Amino acid sequence: MQPLLTLNRVSKSFGDLHALTEIDLQINSGEIIGLVGSNGAGKTTLLRLMAGVYTPTSGKVLLADGKPVSDMRQVLGVVPESTGLYSRLTAWENIRYHSRMHGVSDEDAWARTAKFAHHLDMMDSLGRHTKGFSRGMRQKTALLRALAHGPSILLLDEPTAGLDITSARTVRRLVNQLKREGGTVIYSTHQLSEAQQVCDRIVIVHNGDIRADGSPDLLLEQTQTTSLEEAYVALTKDAARPRQEDDEGEGRFTGWWRRFFTPKPPMLASRGVEEGE
Amino acid sequence: MSKFSTHRIRAIAKKEVVEFVRDWRTIMAIIVIPLLMFPLLFILFPILLESEAAELDALELTVIVQSNSLEESMEQAIVGAGIDIVMEPLDNQSQLSEPGEDLERVRNGSVDAILRVEKVNSTWDYAILRLSTSERSNEAWNRLLDALNTWESEEVERRISDSGMDVNSTLNPLRWDGDVAQSDVATSGEQAGMVLSLFIPLVLAIWTYSSALQPSIDMTAGERERGTLEALLCLPCTRLELLLGKWVAVATITGVGVILQIFGLLFAIGYLASSSVIGLPELSITTVALIVGAILLFAIMVVAIELALAMRSHSVKEAGSILAPMLLLIVFPALFTQVINLDGIESFWFAVPVVNILLALRELLMNRVIPEHIFVWAFSSIVYAGLAAYYASRQFSREDIVTSLS
Repeated sequence: MQPLLTLNRVSKSFGDLHALTEIDLQINSGEIIGLVGSNGAGKTTLLRLMAGVYTPTSGKVLLADGKPVSDMRQVLGVVPESTGLYSRLTAWENIRYHSRMHGVSDEDAWARTAKFAHHLDMMDSLGRHTKGFSRGMRQKTALLRALAHGPSILLLDEPTAGLDITSARTVRRLVNQLKREGGTVIYSTHQLSEAQQVCDRIVIVHNGDIRADGSPDLLLEQTQTTSLEEAYVALTKDAARPRQEDDEGEGRFTGWWRRFFTPKPPMLASRGVEEGE
Repeated sequence: MSKFSTHRIRAIAKKEVVEFVRDWRTIMAIIVIPLLMFPLLFILFPILLESEAAELDALELTVIVQSNSLEESMEQAIVGAGIDIVMEPLDNQSQLSEPGEDLERVRNGSVDAILRVEKVNSTWDYAILRLSTSERSNEAWNRLLDALNTWESEEVERRISDSGMDVNSTLNPLRWDGDVAQSDVATSGEQAGMVLSLFIPLVLAIWTYSSALQPSIDMTAGERERGTLEALLCLPCTRLELLLGKWVAVATITGVGVILQIFGLLFAIGYLASSSVIGLPELSITTVALIVGAILLFAIMVVAIELALAMRSHSVKEAGSILAPMLLLIVFPALFTQVINLDGIESFWFAVPVVNILLALRELLMNRVIPEHIFVWAFSSIVYAGLAAYYASRQFSREDIVTSLS
């Protein structure tokens, strides 16, 4: 497999919070890589670094030819956690907008969209405004949008979150189809079973570190366990830190100001629990 | 990825405009309200006032006149003003304006007003009891005052005449000869420009700011809040293209709103001109071009600042709470410039932010094209617009704009 993208000792901090610490990772062409970790582990930050939305605090994210990662966006398809659909546009208008930004003609975008929309049972919904879409339909539309310009790399941030069993299965089948077509997929999830079904390489991210990187069999061998769940627990024994945004409000205030804006629950206050405990 | 693509800027702007105008409230805000505001204000409002006045004229009012010696001519003057009178004797009062026992009758509306008249030697003392919060009572007060003033004028003329003096030369020893309006050498167009220059710059400035407010917030903080910005930032477009695309969209929406408002204003002025209430301003092609240029520079600055500040905000609510009070930064200079005397004004005023464009518009509407002033406001406005655009580009380059509340 050809190396496609390299993260070389990449760290990312937001103020005092070290979201990622000295990450080394190589993405190869044609792989389906699962980024597995708890909430706040650093998966989304890692995906955003790969997409060039974030700049590393230190280290480098480079394409195989040494070019900056922002040059990869032309061949990148992204499904963010929030799906990012415009509610006053139809599903097709959402897809077309992104395709036009990639410089793809409406005809080509429609041909690809129609092909995948059949698989996802979305053909009849393409002309509808996304405002009334269920979570599953939004997720499918975001996926179609990411595929419409024919990307060679797909970044999926929890693509099956909120989907029913059938839809989640369809998404997984679609990812496998992309792999057969030679595409590279980086797939963020906190469901190990899903990662095991879809990915041929699993990267376990925990508290901003990469704790393991390899095929499911390799992880079991490394941890001397019989299931991926046991392997995950063994690799992530230390408690997960709070998410970045959980700390955001508290960090701004101190003293009585902090007590006013972030009062303690009465039970804790009556026990005399001090600030920061 | 090419560094700069007008194709992508156009795609962003088009999508933003389409998405924005699909909300019926937006159509109301950017088309219907600007188009109808001035015609409603200048045409319908006076018509409404006239109809209200006609309604008041048609009221049948009853007034009690308390007097022990009412002159017949005074009684005729009151009846001639369309008032039904009921005579009552005048009780002893320390002061005629003291309501006394009549207070309740006026307060409960059983009578519209009470006129007390008392002859003291060769003069008359009077007072009118009324309820100032009642339309009927106020109308009675106005009609009584008119009638009494008319009677007083006639009485003055009669007394002057009885004393053997000439009424006209006694009452008007100094008289204007001819038509006052005819003596003004300013053309009606110049006069119209003067009048319009007192409020058009104010309206344009406030409307430019306020009509850009909603789209600016929706396209930045709104996107951030809804979580649509992350997908957009992953696309092969630069942050500068994103800013320019959104700027074009906001400027288009604002421009449409302002143009429609000007159209409504011109329609209202045309209507008033046909009624000879106000003339049409005389503006040369150069002046019109300069006015458009001034508004454009102002819009570049305002939209860039609004986009930048909205992009800094985490939510629509936060953006609104920052941008809405900032309207005062337009209103105060706008009000201030209304009182600045343009004759002999120092050039530095044309370099003060916001004030410069408002003063420029005032001068131009009065068809005063002064090269020195034009150079100062044009140059300073280009600098301010450039700084605002630079500030906006810095805000769009921030990493944290990708984080959303959704």
